[in-house]
Amino acid sequence: MATIERDQVRIRLAGRGSQGIMLGGTILAEAAVIDGLMVAEIQEFGPEARLGAAKADLIISKGQIAFPVVHQADFLLCLSRPAYVRYSTTLSMNGLMIAEETLREEMGDSFRVTYIPFRAAALELGKELYSNIIGLGALAALSNAVTKESLQNAVRARVETETLTENLAALDIGYELGYKQVPQQIGSRWANAAR
Amino acid sequence: MNPEPNKNNQKLVMGNEAVAMGAIAAGCDFFAGYPITPATEILEEMSKMLPPRGGVFLQMEDELSAIAAVIGAAWGGSISMTATSGPGFSLMQENLGYASITQTPCVVVDCQRGGPSTGLPKLASQGDVMQARFGSHGDRPTLVITASSVNDCYESTVFAFKMSQKHRMPVILLIDGVIGHIREPVELPPAPPPRKATFPKIDADSPRFGDAPFVPFGHGPVTVVTGLAHQSNGLAETQKGSHTEQMIRTTIENICRDPEIIDSWALKYQLDDADVAIVAYGITARSAREAADLLRADGIKAGLLDLKILWPFPNEILRELAGKVAAIIVPELNLGQMVLPLKAAVGGRVVVHSLNRADGTLLTPNDIAEFAAKQLNSIEERTHA
Repeated sequence: MATIERDQVRIRLAGRGSQGIMLGGTILAEAAVIDGLMVAEIQEFGPEARLGAAKADLIISKGQIAFPVVHQADFLLCLSRPAYVRYSTTLSMNGLMIAEETLREEMGDSFRVTYIPFRAAALELGKELYSNIIGLGALAALSNAVTKESLQNAVRARVETETLTENLAALDIGYELGYKQVPQQIGSRWANAAR
Repeated sequence: MNPEPNKNNQKLVMGNEAVAMGAIAAGCDFFAGYPITPATEILEEMSKMLPPRGGVFLQMEDELSAIAAVIGAAWGGSISMTATSGPGFSLMQENLGYASITQTPCVVVDCQRGGPSTGLPKLASQGDVMQARFGSHGDRPTLVITASSVNDCYESTVFAFKMSQKHRMPVILLIDGVIGHIREPVELPPAPPPRKATFPKIDADSPRFGDAPFVPFGHGPVTVVTGLAHQSNGLAETQKGSHTEQMIRTTIENICRDPEIIDSWALKYQLDDADVAIVAYGITARSAREAADLLRADGIKAGLLDLKILWPFPNEILRELAGKVAAIIVPELNLGQMVLPLKAAVGGRVVVHSLNRADGTLLTPNDIAEFAAKQLNSIEERTHA
């Protein structure tokens, strides 16, 4: 069957309940909307309030999105071990997995995976809860799917005012960590895929 | 929920939220329901939006009472609705029949999930399309509308309310777990200010049923409302030759002749020169649209007929299509339901292939395109043999 090149990027955020995956997905989708892009976002979570599997799928596109569901992700953000195990096979051929640093030891290195210490960075900022926003920052830095300004505005629109300063700081940290990971020789590979 | 509009004035809205927003835009001022995955967000949104506008929100003890409250509210002069999913929709069937025979305008949203019974709560399905038509006993007029995007959810809801009042009947909006939960950017008009429903003045001896306008209690002379077969004045009439049959026939005819319904029956996509037509609805129509593009990229002239209204079934449109294409592919997230009226409509004039899946997994564009290509090849082999 033929394939059709579409100007779109498919993103999957995965982790466990309470890690802020749902909010992260909505913030990223909101950022794409502010950027004037088309987006389809769908979330999936278990019946548990905490610790169940959680994932948010997004397609961000310049044109109309016909089929709105992600089967293979160009960018896969993994914040937990079960998410890694379950979704690593859904990474597309040229896809990039962005995973929590603590998983490196067990999962091993691969050219398709970049490990970032989200948890450590979040704890340094005060709470492990910020790892979703740090993850979003790193994902945005690596994928270039949305602009930083829109992402900041989306965080402002969706995050409670008491924690806004910390969340915006988390976004900056995420961008920094993400940029550090862009290896010059393959950086262009993602840049084209994303925009 | 306070999404910021972007420079194109678009907001990120979930399908279920769009249904609630559409209901408010259509003037809905009464919601009764019972929470159920994946339809709960409709109820949640209505619980937030209705009370500040002077509307009534009721969380009932179950779906039986939810639909009963909706019918009661309509007869009390409200514009009313409920929302549920498969299991709740099954419970509502008896009173849906009551709403039909009493010609009560109301809207029922069924956000479909995998069945039967408790089934697959979180996952999408299109298993209720036949139940929406035949679920209640006896013959009745039905209008069943679908949606395949967030924008559709809004517009279809507004349309459902309009039609329920115009034809004074319960109208069913069928969406599914994916369409209900997907978030897409849409540009929606702001909610209009609350308004009171108005009803025409009638005399004590004017007819109350059949072609007569809907006048609820307290807005005109005393009306008798019964689930028994009745005359046009509402009084029970249970001997042979009941007038109810004629009233049902008239409503069915009125729906099928309504230009607004004829216009919104189905959307055609690249069908003009198509050799193969995919007929789909709801979320599957989204896959089918991309499948048509994939097939065209492979040199197969494919098009899509996106059914926006399932019941009454658009027989004429299908009959016309059958004369133009070599094959019709019907992908559905059930074990083959809408393919049955479709086959009856085309009457063997064209090959019809059914592609089914009911395990909660969506049919992808590739699934549909590959299936269509395979069927076409086998037709060619047979003709050349």
